[in-house]
Amino acid sequence: MNDLLSNYLPIVIFIGLSALIGVALLVAPFLIAVKRPDPEKVSAYECGFDAFDDARMKFDVRFYLVSILFIIFDLEVAFLFPWAVAFGDVGWFGFWSMMIFLGVLTVGFLYEWRKGALEWD
Amino acid sequence: MVQAIVFLPLIGALIAGLLGRVIGHRVSEYITTGLLMVSAVLSWIVFVGFWGGESEVMRVEVMRWIQVGDMDLRWILRVDTLTAIMLIVVTTVSSLVHLYSIGYMHEDPHRSRFFAYLSLFTFAMLMLVTADNFLQMFFGWEGVGLASYLLIGFWYTKPSANAAAMKAFVVNRVGDFGFALGIFGAFMILGDITFDGAFAAIAGNEDVTINFLGGEFHALTVISLLLFMGAMGKSAQFLLHTWLPDAMEGPTPVSALIHAATMVTAGVFMVARLSPIFETSAVALTVVVVIGAITAFFAATVGLVQNDIKRVIAYSTCSQLGYMFVALGAGIYSAGIFHLFTHAFFKALLFLGAGAVIHAMHHEQDMRNMGGLRKKIPITYALMIIGTLALTGVGIPGTPFGFAGFFSKDAIIESAYAMGGNTGMFAFWLLVVAALFTSFYSWRLIHLTFHGPTRADHHTYDHAHESPNVMMVPLYILGIGAVLAGTVFYDVFFGHGEHVTHFFHGSIVVNEELIDQAHYVPLWVKWSATIAMLLGFAGAWLAYVRDPGLPARSAAANPGLYNFLLNAWYFDKLYDTIFVRPARWIGRAFWRGFDDYLVDQTITEGLGNRIKGITAQVVRLQSGYLYHYAFAMLIGIAALLTWAIAAGGLLG
Amino acid sequence: MNSDITSFASLAPAFPEMLVAAGAIVLLLFGIFTKKERANGVAMAAVVLLVATAGIVIFHPAQGVIFNGGFIADEFARFMKVLVIGGAAFALILSLPSSRQHQLDKFEYSVLVLLATLGMMMMVSANDLMSLYLGLELQSLAAYVLAAMKRDSARATEAGLKYFVLGALSSGMLLYGASLIYGFTGHTQLDLIVDQIVMGERSIGLIFGMVFLLAGIAFKISAVPFHMWTPDVYEGAPTPVTAFLASAPKVAAMALLVRVVTVSFAPITSDWQQIVIFLSIASMVLAAFAAIGQKSLKRLVAYSSIGHVGFALVGLSSGTAVGVEGVAIYMAIYVTMTIGLFACILALRTQNGAVEDIAELAGLAQRRPFVAAMIAVLMFSLIGLPPLAGFFAKWHVFLAAIEARLFVLAVIGVLASAISAFYYLRIVKTMYFDEPVLEYAAVPRELTAVMGVTGFLVITYFVTVGGPLAAAARVASGSLF
Repeated sequence: MNDLLSNYLPIVIFIGLSALIGVALLVAPFLIAVKRPDPEKVSAYECGFDAFDDARMKFDVRFYLVSILFIIFDLEVAFLFPWAVAFGDVGWFGFWSMMIFLGVLTVGFLYEWRKGALEWD
Repeated sequence: MVQAIVFLPLIGALIAGLLGRVIGHRVSEYITTGLLMVSAVLSWIVFVGFWGGESEVMRVEVMRWIQVGDMDLRWILRVDTLTAIMLIVVTTVSSLVHLYSIGYMHEDPHRSRFFAYLSLFTFAMLMLVTADNFLQMFFGWEGVGLASYLLIGFWYTKPSANAAAMKAFVVNRVGDFGFALGIFGAFMILGDITFDGAFAAIAGNEDVTINFLGGEFHALTVISLLLFMGAMGKSAQFLLHTWLPDAMEGPTPVSALIHAATMVTAGVFMVARLSPIFETSAVALTVVVVIGAITAFFAATVGLVQNDIKRVIAYSTCSQLGYMFVALGAGIYSAGIFHLFTHAFFKALLFLGAGAVIHAMHHEQDMRNMGGLRKKIPITYALMIIGTLALTGVGIPGTPFGFAGFFSKDAIIESAYAMGGNTGMFAFWLLVVAALFTSFYSWRLIHLTFHGPTRADHHTYDHAHESPNVMMVPLYILGIGAVLAGTVFYDVFFGHGEHVTHFFHGSIVVNEELIDQAHYVPLWVKWSATIAMLLGFAGAWLAYVRDPGLPARSAAANPGLYNFLLNAWYFDKLYDTIFVRPARWIGRAFWRGFDDYLVDQTITEGLGNRIKGITAQVVRLQSGYLYHYAFAMLIGIAALLTWAIAAGGLLG
Repeated sequence: MNSDITSFASLAPAFPEMLVAAGAIVLLLFGIFTKKERANGVAMAAVVLLVATAGIVIFHPAQGVIFNGGFIADEFARFMKVLVIGGAAFALILSLPSSRQHQLDKFEYSVLVLLATLGMMMMVSANDLMSLYLGLELQSLAAYVLAAMKRDSARATEAGLKYFVLGALSSGMLLYGASLIYGFTGHTQLDLIVDQIVMGERSIGLIFGMVFLLAGIAFKISAVPFHMWTPDVYEGAPTPVTAFLASAPKVAAMALLVRVVTVSFAPITSDWQQIVIFLSIASMVLAAFAAIGQKSLKRLVAYSSIGHVGFALVGLSSGTAVGVEGVAIYMAIYVTMTIGLFACILALRTQNGAVEDIAELAGLAQRRPFVAAMIAVLMFSLIGLPPLAGFFAKWHVFLAAIEARLFVLAVIGVLASAISAFYYLRIVKTMYFDEPVLEYAAVPRELTAVMGVTGFLVITYFVTVGGPLAAAARVASGSLF
């Protein structure tokens, strides 16, 4: 039983550390930051529109475009980490698989670029 | 050659029927008539071969027709003596009628259709007479029925013609029902429906009984009676005769060809062809004699008072067919065929002559509006006289001098006497009386039409004229036949027993002993028919020439009898009451109750409306709201889960 | 882990898929670096690509299981792939003449069709719940976009949105089912799941998973009660897209369903049979009734396709090789008839736009006798009148049902077929017996050609393709049993 639990010790340490850092980051501004509030600053930020308002309102679809594009590349990176860690085991097959994956993503990137999705105006 | 005889009319019918509009009426007429004449010439060649001593039966296979189980039917054209006789009767009369029709129908806008039907009829009739088995015969039998239906209703814009056509068809169905059952019975008992095979199988099956309508009967008697039922329908015998007078609605050449010379004799031909089967049953033969004699008498009585010239001849035909059946039933088949043969000539002559009269009178058929035509159309008059002499049987007994009907009718009357017994005497006396009536109504027809002062309106009478040659030539030829057919062929049909046997050569049963008996009847029997004929002639002269007021007076004195005869013994009324009206009532019940209410309203429309209702509900499910759709999916999966788990037995 | 990947050549069974994938990417690159007017050229190139792919599938088939058991190429996959590729290629051809007015004259259209086709080929060849889901989603995502491609049209965007939301729901169900199955058997590979089911007892959890999985697939083949999206999407989407959605994806999803139930759930046939029978009867009956009430031609076709899926499921219900053979034949004939029918619908144009109401077909026989005759032939075939192809389609599945002693199902099927005759015949009646009201525009050559080919196949099915098709279907279904 102790063996089993001790196996999870690093995770407990991780959780503890991340909680600590998170709390520290939240608390620190209260303690040390300069406070000069104005109405724009204190309003909640939610993709550029009011968080507590009628849901059936017009909004700019470009916010979503940007965030979706971001998620794609975010996920790409998320795949790259485990691949890098296991690179020694997956061999050439793993290597080429990831290259194809990156290639396909690049094509997608080219597409959105050429389509002008990356330009705000 | 046989194929040519049979199929040339079919080719003509197809050409005229399918291409009639393209090639025109005139060409259609010439083609059909020409092909039939070729067919007639070939038929005579065949017949002369048999007459001259040829005896081999010709059997020409056309194709293998049906093979089912043990039944291997071939379509074979069979020509023996009996067939050869029928071939010449059919093709000769038919080709003459074709020729005559060119003149008679020349104003009709649908002539090529008419000629197509005529040729089609001829083909069917030839199929019937050349049959080698029951089924081929049935094919021809129904084929002539169809052609007859089409021709009676040829003027389909006339309601009465359509009604008559339907009546002919329906009444014939009654007979055909019997005929079909007879064929089934023959196949069941004899195991073969080729004629030769069936006749050969009679030997071992004479005592077989059959369960029919709940009782055990002698099988061959039942079969014979059923087959005779078919013959009664087609040959318009008593009880099934009602369609024939109405069939006169068709054009007159049709009456001559189909309803006098050929189709109506199909029943006679059939009984003769199947004589070996009929011979096995005394009961059946008795029935044939009784029905034939009653028909001869009954039709003759009705003929006495008819006013329509064609109806008189129609009842006469009916009566003469009765004569033929008496001969068949008496066991002297050759005598029946003899009368069939001679009758074809003189009855076709009478009908075509009547057609010429009608033609001259501008389609007037009522004899009360005729009279005095002798001066206007003398040649037609002469030919009608010849026909009448032949029909009434004028001749000198004991000598070879006489008109065609004299020989054949006397042969039948003598046969009836020779048959003897109650049946024979019953038939004999009825036939003699019928002969008297025949003479009376025939001369009545002549007197009313040709003699005395005219009763036609001035205009019609003045314009009455002799028919064109194309109509007269057939009459001449038939006139020759009506004079000579009896005396020339007497020997081979009703002469010495040996001659008859040799001539027919097994194609029908020939009882030489019986023929000899018929020859040696007492002298008064031989003279009886002639005396009856003279009495009838005298009566007609008395009533229509000497004292023209007599018929009206006697009709007024006996109105019951007069109306009884005028309405043909009220058979039409009787049938209307006991068959037609109930049938209509049943039909109406089925129509209103079953078809209209149940099928149409309840099932078809009711179900249709129900489906529409369901559709409306189902369509409403499709609301267009996304959450409804999602909800439906969730309901669906919940239902599927419940069902799968409950039905899968996973709850317990 | 990568033991079976020794060389590029060992990937041969997946060459067709790889070709389509590479082709799609190349065409995408070509499209973005070239002018907009080339859209029809891209579409032609896509057709050529599909034909080449079909050529490989037909003439150089490589069979085997690769990608660690995730991908299988067998006779069944081959048969279905040919149908899928053919359906997609013909749908592309149908879109050519009218791409502009449907706003489909963008190269993305062809690329999306190619990607959807790739997804469908994956579905057909999926041998693992994961690859199955990948293929399904690739096809679905492409289809969502296709449906909403006509962005100016409110109906098209509504259709796309409905399709997407309901599709996501069904994907969720499918995924949930897949995870349950994995949880209760410990495998995601189809042919390993079956071993576990044979060894272990069938549990409620497994049945649960199976029902959810089947529900997810049933959405894709639009079987009742998961059909609700179909009429709205078919009506709203641009007609060439509808032609595509109605043909190839149905085949792929049906192939998927057949493979899953016959491979993975063979030991519990009686369980899935219940579900398939329910789906079948519900689809046939509801479609027959609902179609009668339709006024729009495309909605009618939607219900018609629901009904035909029901008939195809009759074959699957038997759970036998003969039944699967019937399904294969049915789908082949269904695709042919659907493509032909949409060729006719697309050919019906007036000066003012497309003809979409049934009433507007009045007197078509006088104005456009060829199109009317083709529609009539297809209607008779859809009813299932001999000797047209539709008759043999139904004959095969009903025969399988009767051999499996599913008499009630067969009787209901025939009755539904009879009811469905009503709305098919109504179209024929409208075309031939009503007075013409509209003037129709000329029919483009491409559509005439497609109509001619499909019409020929439908009419002469019995003497031409019937025999070889049945033989191929027999081989295909034989590879599953």
